[in-house]
Amino acid sequence: MREILLVRFGEVYLKGLNRPLFMRALVDRVRHAAEPFGGHVWLKDSRIYVSDMNDTQACARRVAQVFGIHSVSIAKEMEKADFEAVCQAAIEMMADKSGSFKVRASRSDKKYPYDSPQINEIVGGRVLEANPNLHVDVKNPDYTLVVEIREKATLHIGRIEGAGGMPMGTAGKACLLLSGGIDSPVAGYMIARRGVRLMAVHFHSFPYTSERARDKVIELARILSTYCGKIDLFIVPFTEMQMKIHQHCPEEMTTLIMRRQMMRIAERLALRERAQALVTGESLGQVASQTMEAIASTDDVATLSIFRPLIGFDKIDIINYAEKIGTYETSSLPYEDCCTVFTPKHPLTRPKLEDVREGESRLGEEMETMLQACVDGAEKVIVEDGVLVKGPKPEGEAEG
Amino acid sequence: MIYLDNSATTKPCEAALLAMRGALETDWFNPSAAYGPAVRAEKKMTQARRALLEAAGAQSAELTFTGSGSEADSLAIVGSAERFHGARRVLIFGGEHPAVLNTREQLERLGHTVETFPARRDGVADLEKLAAALDENVGLVSCMQVNNETGAVQPVGEIARLIREKCPGALFHVDGVQGFLRVPLAFDQSGIDLYTCSGHKIHGPKGIGALIARKGVRLNPRIEGGGQEKGLRSGTENTAGIAGFAAAAQWLAAQPKRFETLRAAKLRLYARLRAEIPELRVNGPDPESGVAAPHILNLSLGVRGEVMLHALEAEGVYVGNGSACSTHKREMSAAFRAMNAGRQAAETAVRFSLGMMNTIEEMDAAADAVIRCYKTYAAFQRR
Repeated sequence: MREILLVRFGEVYLKGLNRPLFMRALVDRVRHAAEPFGGHVWLKDSRIYVSDMNDTQACARRVAQVFGIHSVSIAKEMEKADFEAVCQAAIEMMADKSGSFKVRASRSDKKYPYDSPQINEIVGGRVLEANPNLHVDVKNPDYTLVVEIREKATLHIGRIEGAGGMPMGTAGKACLLLSGGIDSPVAGYMIARRGVRLMAVHFHSFPYTSERARDKVIELARILSTYCGKIDLFIVPFTEMQMKIHQHCPEEMTTLIMRRQMMRIAERLALRERAQALVTGESLGQVASQTMEAIASTDDVATLSIFRPLIGFDKIDIINYAEKIGTYETSSLPYEDCCTVFTPKHPLTRPKLEDVREGESRLGEEMETMLQACVDGAEKVIVEDGVLVKGPKPEGEAEG
Repeated sequence: MIYLDNSATTKPCEAALLAMRGALETDWFNPSAAYGPAVRAEKKMTQARRALLEAAGAQSAELTFTGSGSEADSLAIVGSAERFHGARRVLIFGGEHPAVLNTREQLERLGHTVETFPARRDGVADLEKLAAALDENVGLVSCMQVNNETGAVQPVGEIARLIREKCPGALFHVDGVQGFLRVPLAFDQSGIDLYTCSGHKIHGPKGIGALIARKGVRLNPRIEGGGQEKGLRSGTENTAGIAGFAAAAQWLAAQPKRFETLRAAKLRLYARLRAEIPELRVNGPDPESGVAAPHILNLSLGVRGEVMLHALEAEGVYVGNGSACSTHKREMSAAFRAMNAGRQAAETAVRFSLGMMNTIEEMDAAADAVIRCYKTYAAFQRR
C-alpha cells in the first residue's frame, strides 16, 4: 500500500483537436510542481497521478496550485486482489473520524468479484463495526469515502480545490504593468491562470521612490512566480520622464500623460520580448485615472490588446483575491510608488482625448528620445518558481 | 560615503571592536561560573560597569546592563511604577521616543494616570506647563536629555529642581540615549534618579543598553530568570556588548574637545546650507543656541524629506528622515507634534546627525550635495 495523489483537471477536457497539446503542457506543469518533492507523475485514464513524493501534504498543495488543475485528492493505493486489505485500509482511514459517512464505490474493472453496491455495503459495514463514533448517512454525510477499483484499488476522503484555469504556456505571453499596489498582482494572476506566460514592467522613480519600493515590487513578482513559473521583470528608470511631464504639461493631466508614456514603454518592451498583450490592474472608476474617459486616453496610444481583468471588481473583491494568492501583505507595505508622486491636486476625470493629445504634444520632439531611453535603460530582474534568479543592481551607491 | 545619520546608529570605533573581539575570543566564559577564567570574565564586566559609571559622572550610582535603550526605559518606567503604593500620576514629555511614550498602556494597566507635557516652538520642554502639573500625587517624571529628531537639549537640571520643590517623593527618569557623552552630564550632581543610555549611539555595538540608577531607587525586573544584574535583568550577560559599550564610552570621553568639534562641524554645515537655500527652516532650537545639541540638525529644505533623503543617497550622503521614527510610518512624529510643527515642516524635514568620525571636510562635501539636490528637486514639488 502506498500514498498517491489523484489529480483531476477541468476545462482542458473541452479542447478538441488541441487536446494532446494541452495535456502535454498540463502534465509538464504538474511534473514541474511535484519535482521538488521527488514525485513520480503519470497520466492514465483522463487523470494525472503522483506517487513517491517525500511530503504528501505539501506536494498535494503545490500541485493544486498548477493552472488547469481542478482538484487533488490524497489517496491510498493497493492491490485490488486482496479485498481484506481494502477493508482494513478503509477502517484505518476512518478510525479518527466521528459523525456521518458513506462509502461511494466505482469500478472500471467489471470482472471484479464485487459490484459497486456490494463494495459500499461490505466496506461500510466493516468501518461502522470498527468505529462506534460513526453512523451512515447516504444523503448528506460528513465524510464520503471513495473506493475506486481500476487497475489497482484506491481509497480517498475529500479533495483540495485546484487553481482551475488553463495550463501555463498554452495561451501565449502577456506583459503585466506591475505597480506595487494591490491590484496589478491580482490582474497578473488572473491572466496567467488562463494559460498565459507573464513578463512584467515596473516604473521606478528614484529618488522619489526608494530601494524598498523597488524591492517590494520584486517580491510581488516573486510571489506571482510561484504560480506562473518564470517572469522577466523590467524595471524602467522613469524619473526623468515624470519630471519632464511635470515641467511641460498641464498639471491636471499629468497623471494621464504619465500613464500614456507607461503604455508606450510597456508596449515597446512587450513587442521586443514577443508578448502579445498588455495587462493592467485597472478597475472602472476606482481613481481619477480609471474613469472610462481616462482609460480611453491610455488605450489611444497602444496597438496591442490591453487586458483589464479587474475592470468590474470592487476593491474589497480584489483585496480578498490578493489575500488568497498571498500578495496582499506585501502590496500593503507603505512605500511610495511612482503613481503617487506628482499627483495633481485636481486631476481631470473626464478628459477629452484631443486635449490630452495637445497637452502631451508640449513634450515636443524630446519625447521620443526619452521613451527610447526608458526602454533601453530598463533593468531586467528574473524570478522563477518563487526564487529570485537574477536580482537588481544595488541602488543609491555613489560612483567610485 | 558620508554618514550623517548617527542618531539612527553609529559606526563602531576600533576600540569597541578590539574590546569585543577580546571578550569573544578570550573572555567568553559565563561570568556566573566558579572557575578562574569565568571570574576573569566577570572582572572585565565589573571594569566596564565602572568605566561607564565614570563616563556618566555617576560613581556613586548603580548600573544595570540591558539589551537596548528601549529595554532600559521600560525597566526604569514600568519597573519603578510597579512598586508605587497606590495610583499615581506619571508625567511624560510629549516629544519622547516611542520607547518611553508607549509605556503608557502598561502604566495605565497598573492603575496609574499618564499625562504628557508639551514642548515650546523650539522643541524644548515647556517648564511652565510642567511646573503647573507637578503635585504630591506625581510618582514619576520622564524627560529625555536630547530630542532624537530636533536635537533640542532638555532642561533636565531645572526639571530636577522643580521636582525637588513640588513633589520631592517623585522619581525622575531621563532617557539619555541621544545625549550620553554628547551633552555634558554629571549624574551624581544632577538630581536625576534613573538614566538610560545605549551602546550603538556612541560608536559601540548594538544590543546593549544600560540603566543607571541612584542608590536606593527600587525597581521590579522586566525579565525574570537566573537573577543576573542583581536580579534586575536576568539572562547571561552580553559580555562582548558590554566590553564594546564601555570601550566606546572611554574612547569618546577621551576625545579632546568633543562637544566643540561636533558643534563646529554642525554649524559649518548649517551656515553653508543657510547661505544657499532660501527656503531653509530649522525644526527645533536655533542651531547656534545653547539648547541645541552639538550633533543634531533638523532642517526643512523645501523638498519632501523622503525625496531629499534618496537623492542624497545617490550622492553617497546618508541622512535621516527628519520627522519619522522609521520609513514604515507616515504619521507625524511625537517630537513634531509636541512642538506643534506644521505638516509642511514635517514632510520636508531632513535630519543631519553627526558622530565623532565626521570631519569638517565632509560637511563641505555634504553641503555641496544637499545644494545640488535642492536645485534639482525643489522645482519639482507639487504645484
